[in-house]
Amino acid sequence: MRKSSWVTRLAVSIVMISIACAVAFPFYYIVVNTFKTQQQTSESPLGLPTSWNLANYKNVWDNIPVLHSFENTLRVTVVSVVIMLLVGSMAAYGIVMRKTRASKRIHVVLLLGLAVPFQVTLIPIYQFFVKVHLVDSLNGLVLIYSGGAIFCYFLIQGYMLTVPYEIIEAARIDGCGALRMYWGIVLPLIRPVLVTVGIFQTIWVWNDFLAPSIFLISPSNYTVVLQVYQSVGQYTTNWPAFMTLTVLSLIPITVFFVVMQRHIVSGLAAGAVKG
Amino acid sequence: MAAPYWQRRRLWVLEATRRREQVTTRLFIVPLAVIFVGLFALPVARSLYFSFTNFDGYSSKVAFVGFANYTALFSSPTILTGLSFTLIYALGQALVVTIMAIPLAVALNRRFVGRNFVRAALFFPAVPSAAVLGLVWTFILAPISMGVINSALGAAFGVGPVPWLSTDLLARLSVIGVGVWSQVGWHAMLYLAYLQSIPADYYDAADVDGASNVQRFFRITVPLLAPAMTVSLVLLVVFGLQVYALPLALTAGGPGYATYTISQNIIQLGISNAQYGQGAALSILFLIMVAIVLLAQVTVLRRREARLR
Repeated sequence: MRKSSWVTRLAVSIVMISIACAVAFPFYYIVVNTFKTQQQTSESPLGLPTSWNLANYKNVWDNIPVLHSFENTLRVTVVSVVIMLLVGSMAAYGIVMRKTRASKRIHVVLLLGLAVPFQVTLIPIYQFFVKVHLVDSLNGLVLIYSGGAIFCYFLIQGYMLTVPYEIIEAARIDGCGALRMYWGIVLPLIRPVLVTVGIFQTIWVWNDFLAPSIFLISPSNYTVVLQVYQSVGQYTTNWPAFMTLTVLSLIPITVFFVVMQRHIVSGLAAGAVKG
Repeated sequence: MAAPYWQRRRLWVLEATRRREQVTTRLFIVPLAVIFVGLFALPVARSLYFSFTNFDGYSSKVAFVGFANYTALFSSPTILTGLSFTLIYALGQALVVTIMAIPLAVALNRRFVGRNFVRAALFFPAVPSAAVLGLVWTFILAPISMGVINSALGAAFGVGPVPWLSTDLLARLSVIGVGVWSQVGWHAMLYLAYLQSIPADYYDAADVDGASNVQRFFRITVPLLAPAMTVSLVLLVVFGLQVYALPLALTAGGPGYATYTISQNIIQLGISNAQYGQGAALSILFLIMVAIVLLAQVTVLRRREARLR
């Protein structure tokens, strides 16, 4: 990198910070309006609130089962991400350990699964779910998301190939069985990739709209995103209240992002270098 | 001479464990195999089968109808607009995101005051759900005074409210614009990760030869970002083709069917209208579109590898 003069540095700073503010503007807009009354919002939609008025928060909290939808989403997300990581890493372990021609073929066939979007399998899965009464059930949703195990499998398998074989051989000499090898040796060694994949899948499941919008019917089963979407009609005139609901709904995923930011960026870089 | 006892014993243990392992490791693949068959292979096979029949979900008489479902797709104006907008969206946002993300990544790679804030702010729109972001933007683009963009335009230039979401062209552009806004930072970070792996020597050599900034960008940065571009473009196009929540939340597919998507068509046919045959045919068509994009990627990667060899 060339040394740049302080003038260009300042110019880059000003341009980039302005772009960042423009990008962040919608979030500023919804947050400031949660503290205003409807009248204040229409008079000055962009001004800072004059006081910390929490009436909108109370209104939304009392009228919308926000907490319940968080519980639903959390349950679905945690269970499905754990299943995905478990199933994906088990298969990766099985394939990497075996190195036979058959396992190579299985690997290629699984690769085809990555190319299939949910929209393609949606109709048959929906029909099957109607038959076995899994429509409008959080367990049904978990079953759908467990398909994400294929994606986990690929990332984990790629990472597992970098685990030094000597460690496995040494454990074998000590008479370590396959199950203990997987649970006690391989899983701890591949922790970094489990964290990365887990984060990406958590964000996907938490935010998914397609599957809940089709498979969930009763409001008591709504996930957060579906809850927000279904409540919009209720607040067509009361914008500040709806923005409050939006802000509330974004709190958990924002906290998750802030806590995991380091891993997200390094995961992106690791995926990038591998290509 | 035979190996000493302890060594023989060690080999024997190794052999025995390995044999036992061969049996157990096979079992490790079973859960994923079940998921693959149940959630991917069988449903795709069923979709393929439905697409050639007149199955309606109720009558037990299912007849083979050849390509009738496929040809019917192309005579339905709703499906054709869904198809065309989905393609416009997928390609449009991919193009704009790529054009914007590369210069952003180059700038993010420099040292400047406030870099961490800028990185976080640019990346953040990729974190919330597209459905929620779409709803937020309906407020910002709303035609009345509370819609900030229109009230700002009114105050600054005295123009009447711009119908961002209620004319065909503007609604389409708005959906693409919000799509770009929500993804550009994520892809800039992807490019940034690649940029950081470009050796500084290349730029030093360019300096010695007296290359200008523009030349450095187009002769070194862009070609070396080619692998990143393949990854980023494939992600953008494949996920772009699957777009569903964003236009639904922002415009509900309207005005009319201007921002209707293939996903909405599939759901309407296969879930709401019980037109399984046509819905399945559209699913298969969709799978083919995605497969073409992925095959193109594989071809490009292969060719590039061959050139490097």
